[in-house]
Amino acid sequence: MFSTELVVQTFISGTMIGVLYALMALGITFIYSIMRMINWAMGEFYMIGSYLQYALVALLLGPDLWWLAIPISAAGVFLFGLVVQWSLLKPIFRKPPEARDDYATVVTLALLLLLRSLATGLAGPNQFSPGSDLPVVMVGPLPMAGARVAAFVFALVALVLFYLLLRYSWYGLALRATSQSRVGVQTAGIDVLGVDRIAFGIGVALAGLAGALLAPVFLVYPTNGLITTVKGFEIVVIGGLGSIPGALIAGVLLGLIESFGAAFIDSAYQNIYGFALVLLILALKPTGLLGERGREA
Amino acid sequence: MPLALETIRLVKRFGGLLAANDVSLAVEHGEIRGLIGPNGAGKTTLVNLVTGVHPPDMGDVKLGGQSLRGCAMHEIARLGLVRSFQVTRLFGNMTVSENLMTSFFARRNRATGDGTKQIGNMLELTRLGPLADTQAKKLSGGQRALLQMACGFMVPGSCYVLDEPFAGINPVIKDAIIDMIVDVNRRHGATFLVVSHEMAIVRRLCRQVTVMMEGRVAAQGTLDEVARLPEVIAGYLGKALE
Amino acid sequence: MRGQELLLAGAIVAGLATAGLPAAAQDIGIGLVVPLSPPGDPVGGQLIRRGAELGVETVNAAGGVLGGRKFKLYVEDSQGKPEAGVAAYRRLVSEDKVVFVPGFFHSSVAIAANEVANEMGVPTMSLQASAADITAKHYEVAFRTHVVDPVRVSAFMEFIKQKNFKRVSMIAETTDYGIGIADETIAQAKKMGGIEVQKVPFDRTVTDLTPQLLQIKAFKPDLVINIGVGQPLDLIIDQATTIGLLPNTPMLVSYDAPVRPQYWKLHPKNGAGIYFIAYFSPKAPLSDIGAAFSKAYVGKYKEDPVYGALNGFGAIEIISQAINAAKSTDPKALIKTLETGTFKSWPSNPVTFPRAKGVYWHNWSAPVLILHYTKPMEDWKEAEVAVQYAPVVPKD
Repeated sequence: MFSTELVVQTFISGTMIGVLYALMALGITFIYSIMRMINWAMGEFYMIGSYLQYALVALLLGPDLWWLAIPISAAGVFLFGLVVQWSLLKPIFRKPPEARDDYATVVTLALLLLLRSLATGLAGPNQFSPGSDLPVVMVGPLPMAGARVAAFVFALVALVLFYLLLRYSWYGLALRATSQSRVGVQTAGIDVLGVDRIAFGIGVALAGLAGALLAPVFLVYPTNGLITTVKGFEIVVIGGLGSIPGALIAGVLLGLIESFGAAFIDSAYQNIYGFALVLLILALKPTGLLGERGREA
Repeated sequence: MPLALETIRLVKRFGGLLAANDVSLAVEHGEIRGLIGPNGAGKTTLVNLVTGVHPPDMGDVKLGGQSLRGCAMHEIARLGLVRSFQVTRLFGNMTVSENLMTSFFARRNRATGDGTKQIGNMLELTRLGPLADTQAKKLSGGQRALLQMACGFMVPGSCYVLDEPFAGINPVIKDAIIDMIVDVNRRHGATFLVVSHEMAIVRRLCRQVTVMMEGRVAAQGTLDEVARLPEVIAGYLGKALE
Repeated sequence: MRGQELLLAGAIVAGLATAGLPAAAQDIGIGLVVPLSPPGDPVGGQLIRRGAELGVETVNAAGGVLGGRKFKLYVEDSQGKPEAGVAAYRRLVSEDKVVFVPGFFHSSVAIAANEVANEMGVPTMSLQASAADITAKHYEVAFRTHVVDPVRVSAFMEFIKQKNFKRVSMIAETTDYGIGIADETIAQAKKMGGIEVQKVPFDRTVTDLTPQLLQIKAFKPDLVINIGVGQPLDLIIDQATTIGLLPNTPMLVSYDAPVRPQYWKLHPKNGAGIYFIAYFSPKAPLSDIGAAFSKAYVGKYKEDPVYGALNGFGAIEIISQAINAAKSTDPKALIKTLETGTFKSWPSNPVTFPRAKGVYWHNWSAPVLILHYTKPMEDWKEAEVAVQYAPVVPKD
């Protein structure tokens, strides 16, 4: 059972799925770091991304142009995120009520139910697959679906672009500053609600991108965002809420732990290993691996 | 010519507390006005009302004759009214240069020119040059105050509202901050409203001071004039000058 | 003010309209509990629903039961979750006053609902749930028109014997159904001897099953039995293809999902070569009412009816015959009549629900088939019949 080949295969498969989990967690943690709210409807933005990808590939562009459909799907989710922030969240954030987090929670939970019901209503409960003509690729000793390797590569590219945006652009400067002091940026003359809008758009676009990338691998159906959201939150707790490097490291860590747990302990409890890690982290370091104790002044 | 900064009968109530009670204030162009008063007199509330942190219950604020009613904090900042906080609101995980850059980009316009050059000027003026790439959270309290001041000066504003810029800072840095205020005031004709407890500095900087007590304006005049008023001595200066 | 008056008037009219339907009391309520949304298998639920709806139309068009009373169908979504299924059963019996609750695609839902039914007394009929406990508990209220797990596993064994397989892997979801089938397979394989069996369980909500499939690949089996229901079943087929398990190793799917139209949409390239359990083939003769139903179904949905739809229809036919025979809608009388009578459903063989031994209690099923897709996009009606297994029902 414990052959070297199986260990290497398990390692590769865990790492690759972990990077995709991280994409989801990054969206959650990024929105939190800017807006100090948790977007509970994150999985539904993943779901919208996957439906967009399916619709574009199956109805409009054809399977050969899947790579073009991916940025279009992500951009679609970005635009939808802007609309959601503008119509539902901005009114909450304009006046500073005491219970802003609670309002945001209620609004995003309602959004979750609405979007899920809409998907079932519009496209039915059945699952779809945009299909993929990509050949199976050997990653070391592990054969992997071309679509999954492509998803991994796209995810890495997106992560690099995200980093460059944060590090070297004016928007990045404003986003980083907002994550540290919302009052400070307003004093400096930055429209903090405008920053929120961009941040929410980017955050949900990361989820939408994951949805579009994983559509051919994990299928398209109304609740397909659920499991990735759960993983996303696990990662956020493990890595530390608001920590971007934490999300990346914890994402890969979760992928590895699940893969190895399933392969070498008991495959029936694959979902449990991540939770066990969450509990362990909460007991030992409640702020997560790279989380900060409090906000910087 | 309209006044640089004017508050007209401002009223603000927090629950049962009347934090600003009919506050009218008129600051002329190029003036450095001192705002003094005992703790809890409503000085910070006034600053918050002026800079858009809280909307007033009644009354109005005018900047260069223009009403600020309904303006968000960032809009007021872009109009040229810049504030500093008692507790510095810097971006702790960002470097000194990045902090300066953020303030520059947010308020830049066609006339502001090159940001990098301005950062160089500010680093030289504050002598923070060697710390340009240090994270702001690693600076000392005085260095942070200096940096916050420098952020405000990255793009010249027309009016500065400084809330306790000298509290808890060593004398060398105090002098540096005073120099910066005087420099910007002389060169750009900028107007200042400075909240402070340090009477020596207030005397040095401000021709006129406004005294606030219990949410209202108690007196106005030169520091020596107001210091002679019995009400001010009883309520504040008597204790402060002991 | 004017708007409010209008609203009020509208509300009164609507109220009168509802209240003014005493004829509704004449209708006989039939409940249907099926999965219509994930994590259940919504396609499975939808097919049963279609059959039941057409069944109600047929019965009502023929004049209803008991000399003119019509059936009214109340459909509830179980979401494949026991708690939702139990709530649905309660609602149907206490609010909608139904006299019979067929449906039940997921075994765990059927088992949970039967516990409540045992107290509330209105009979259930499981149409596509196969766990032993559904009938093995010998509840008066529990009926079934589906292949029970031991019979399904006997069909696996027939297939394994015929192909001379020695190493068998099972990838099984951790549900009553998945674990039930897997454990029964292990038991029957032990009895048969000479077979090594690997059991790899997985949680239904997991989407990446690569770690499980890698374990199976390392075992080097002659046959993989795919004991997933709904979306995991499809994920297993795709992910097994990726790691090269398919098509080199034959895969047997534990129920008839591959006959559904979307099977080839999801697996246009890697769907060929799959073996699967089926309960119906056009080659098997239909009864007269089954043939009429089939024609009506094709007319309405432009595709052939499959097993789930046929069983949904059958349940309505059986209960209409039972109500007429009992001359009553009283649950106790209905149960008595179902136990003793002989009924007609979609196949040509007669339907009975004897108080038989073990899992065969109150259970009737059509013969079990294992079909084989030999080429891509093959019509399921053309699929090769690899095994035809007639269950041996032990008589009392």
